[in-house]
Amino acid sequence: MEDLATATELRKLIFELTKADVTQVGPSEDLMDTLGLDSLSGLRLLALVEKKFSVRFQDEELTSLRSIEALVLAILRARSVTAGSKS
Amino acid sequence: MKIALIAMSGVRVRTEELAKLGVTLPGFVNRGKVVASLPSLGLLTVAGLTPGEHEVKYIEFDDLPPEGTPLERFDLVGISSFTARINAAYRLADRYRQMVVPVVLGGIHVSLRPDEAEAHADAIVVNGAEGAWPQLLKDFEAGQMKKRYIGATDQVFSPDLYSFPRFDLLKGRPYNRLTVQTSRGCPLNCEFCAASVRITKKFQQKPVELVINEMEAALKVAEHPFFELADDNTFVNKAWGKEFLKAVTPLKLHWFTETDISVADDEELLNLLAKSGCRQILVGLESPDPRALHGMNPNDWKARRQATYLESIRKIQSKGITVNGCFIVGLDTDTPETIKYIKDFVDESELIETQITVSTPFPGTPMWQRMKDAGRLLYSEYNDRCTLFDVNFQPVKMTVDELDQGIQWLFTNLYSEQEFLKRKRRYMDIVKNLEET
Ligand code: SF4
Repeated sequence: MEDLATATELRKLIFELTKADVTQVGPSEDLMDTLGLDSLSGLRLLALVEKKFSVRFQDEELTSLRSIEALVLAILRARSVTAGSKS
Repeated sequence: MKIALIAMSGVRVRTEELAKLGVTLPGFVNRGKVVASLPSLGLLTVAGLTPGEHEVKYIEFDDLPPEGTPLERFDLVGISSFTARINAAYRLADRYRQMVVPVVLGGIHVSLRPDEAEAHADAIVVNGAEGAWPQLLKDFEAGQMKKRYIGATDQVFSPDLYSFPRFDLLKGRPYNRLTVQTSRGCPLNCEFCAASVRITKKFQQKPVELVINEMEAALKVAEHPFFELADDNTFVNKAWGKEFLKAVTPLKLHWFTETDISVADDEELLNLLAKSGCRQILVGLESPDPRALHGMNPNDWKARRQATYLESIRKIQSKGITVNGCFIVGLDTDTPETIKYIKDFVDESELIETQITVSTPFPGTPMWQRMKDAGRLLYSEYNDRCTLFDVNFQPVKMTVDELDQGIQWLFTNLYSEQEFLKRKRRYMDIVKNLEET
């Protein structure tokens, strides 16, 4: 459930940023290729995702966060790390 | 008449150790790939200067069949290349001429070394094609093509000379980066520069309206293209710059250009730049050491600006525009310590991207002449060693070996996976701090 809600929010954010029709982008599709994002725009997207979802991805995983599926998993993972470190 | 226009791009590093490093360092590989994947705006302009009754085919050299295999036949072939691949261009020209297909050579290297190029061509074009190519075609059709045509060096964007580049020739090709030129020349006139400053009398700027028209035409041939302005110094004229930025913003593009550090002096320009979709500016900082910059430009412009480098980079990047800071290694005052100093400077400045090249006396430049006169050139024939990564001259304060080692050390320390990720993170943090996000 949580991942579905996250994916929906994520799609909304990508749309706001790129104005591209993200409803047509499959969960495992490469966002950079499909939406024609250059590498800096890709990083901008990651930065905004971090800000919006109040998470911080591991630097080592930045390069691999290229699909909605990968982003959702990374957001959930980052949230659980934050929650874990708070408890 | 069927005309082929053949473009050559990309370089191959000669030094073995560096070539090996090149394929393993992400920061190095990326920019190289980008440069190699840009179409030749020069040849698209030549196509634009060609009267409509002729059929023009735009070809990338790397798509041609290898030596020993038959080539497609044309009535006339035009080839443009830069120094590092000019020898391959000459071999290709020789292949066509063996097939009795006339060849015209052009580009900056040909303009700087016309006598050398002439030996491999039926005709050469010196300077830009404006003011030369249309006449060449007329003469060719009349069977009277001359050996050498001199293109215009002034007023190249005036209605008499300007032609709209044929972006339509790129339709269906896999380019996701397109180039548009807004200016030609650069008033800074660095001694080593082998760019458009060598083929222009003075700095020339295209009217904003024409630039926007070209961008709109280019947008018809590629989906979501990233634009690279094919300029050497876009924002020399700040008033023009602001007019251009206001006009390009509604197009909602993402783009890159080259300019000098003085953009940081103008807050209004920077704000417009940030809003316009500009993702990166490439700035020739050349060296963090003011002694190395001394004498580089006729009026010592870069030496005088060096003290502002750190603050200027911070200011530009704080707007979300990344700076690709370029440094040259092996300048006459450089010692092995300078190389470490460059690394320290890059760290301190928090540059998001860095380009390191070895000092290269390109044939025909004032620097080449000075080194030649001093007997410092290591090879009598070294066009294909002008890769910007291979040492071709005798440095003053270190040995060739020390310089080679220094470059490798810098590459390893600046372009590693770890550094690459550090810069990515730095950029993301800047973006998160921007007001609009
Ligand atoms: S600032 Fe750059 S473009 Fe201008 S003359 Fe110097 S090297 Fe060439």
